[in-house]
Amino acid sequence: MENNQAENRKAKHTMEMLMMVIALTLVTVIAASLLGVTDMFTREPIRQAQRAMLHRSLEQVLPAHVNSPIDDKLVWHAAGQNMPVYLARDARGQVTAFAWEAVAPDGYSGSIRILIGILPSGGIHAIRITDHQETPGLGDGIVHNKPWLDFFVGKTLDNTRWAVKKDGGNFDQFTGATITPRAVVKAVRKGLEFFKTNRTKLLKMAAHLDIQSEKGKLPS
Amino acid sequence: MNKTEILADGFWHNNTIFAQLLGMCPLLGVTTSAINGFWMGAATVLVLLGSNIVVSLIRGFIPKNVRIPAYIMVIAAFVTVVGMAMNAWMHDMYLILGLFIPLIVVNCAILGRAEAFASKNSVLDSATDALAVGLGFTFALMLLGSVREILGHGSFFGISLFGEHYPDFLMFVLPPGAFIALGFIIAGINIINRRVGRTSQSVAACRPAAHTAQEQA
Repeated sequence: MENNQAENRKAKHTMEMLMMVIALTLVTVIAASLLGVTDMFTREPIRQAQRAMLHRSLEQVLPAHVNSPIDDKLVWHAAGQNMPVYLARDARGQVTAFAWEAVAPDGYSGSIRILIGILPSGGIHAIRITDHQETPGLGDGIVHNKPWLDFFVGKTLDNTRWAVKKDGGNFDQFTGATITPRAVVKAVRKGLEFFKTNRTKLLKMAAHLDIQSEKGKLPS
Repeated sequence: MNKTEILADGFWHNNTIFAQLLGMCPLLGVTTSAINGFWMGAATVLVLLGSNIVVSLIRGFIPKNVRIPAYIMVIAAFVTVVGMAMNAWMHDMYLILGLFIPLIVVNCAILGRAEAFASKNSVLDSATDALAVGLGFTFALMLLGSVREILGHGSFFGISLFGEHYPDFLMFVLPPGAFIALGFIIAGINIINRRVGRTSQSVAACRPAAHTAQEQA
């Protein structure tokens, strides 16, 4: 009798365990398939939304152009990373500006991503912040403060002291927020230095890209 | 409990924010403007609806011991779905709300509704409850967002109220202002409740035991 009871209890226990496993597995499978289906429907729209976002930012940092910079890009390999450099061209196919995304790792909270548009002469055409986690109302002035953003226009390595005023430079800091503008100014300066060092190579790559696309068009 | 009671309870007497003080993280984090509060609330409503309905559907089938992981799984799935959808079709707002969208998973108010209500009630009642609680949460987010936007930026839903020269009242944009504004709003709500004379009931209704007591009565 006792043996029977013990066995019964054991069997019941095994049943319960099995039920838990089945229940959790089923819930997981259903959840996973729901996510799979959603991913199918949202993957393309998400890609397009990100592309539209980049397109909008590019239009803001590049001068008037006849090409489509979002597709007319070269890829710069540096430090194991591939950085797309977007190009603006005039009607003759000449590159009129470069744009790429610089990262300021030293924002007040996390990295700040900055899209920099540079003219072949080495002057800034415009900059826009594409991603940040700075304090609303303080550091996020780098996004909304139009005069501050416009101050970058036309600045080169030589005609500007690349630091905030507190550090003896030309750029305004914000009331209550120095770290954020400091990080942005530093990142843009580094971008200018990068461009100065690699200007010839970038121009050559851009010209080569143009020849390639011309070749690509020939058969058709 | 009839539908009207469920609605009144979830939206007002048992309001996630004002009565239970749950979900403070998204509340204080995203309510720098009314529109942010609205969309955060909308995302939460969708997740709550989904999780409450599914939890209610599977309530007879999930063994007691593993119900919490099962509920969390359901909630996490719906949060991810809502996050993907916002990323696809409301990209700008998705970027603004950022981390707070995935964090809906750990909004204890949602697990709270699954455990305290949906696991014990019919699908229709659970959906009603989700709507009521979700809208109550949205109402709270929008109220705090409006106060902070009006005082902090002098605008409402992005429309400037006091002209160009409003000196941004930064404190209300920053977290301290959120706490202060929330304190005053809750004080105000308590005054209203006392005038109406249902304060004691609203506190009691927070506890699942109170539900059964009311049902028996």
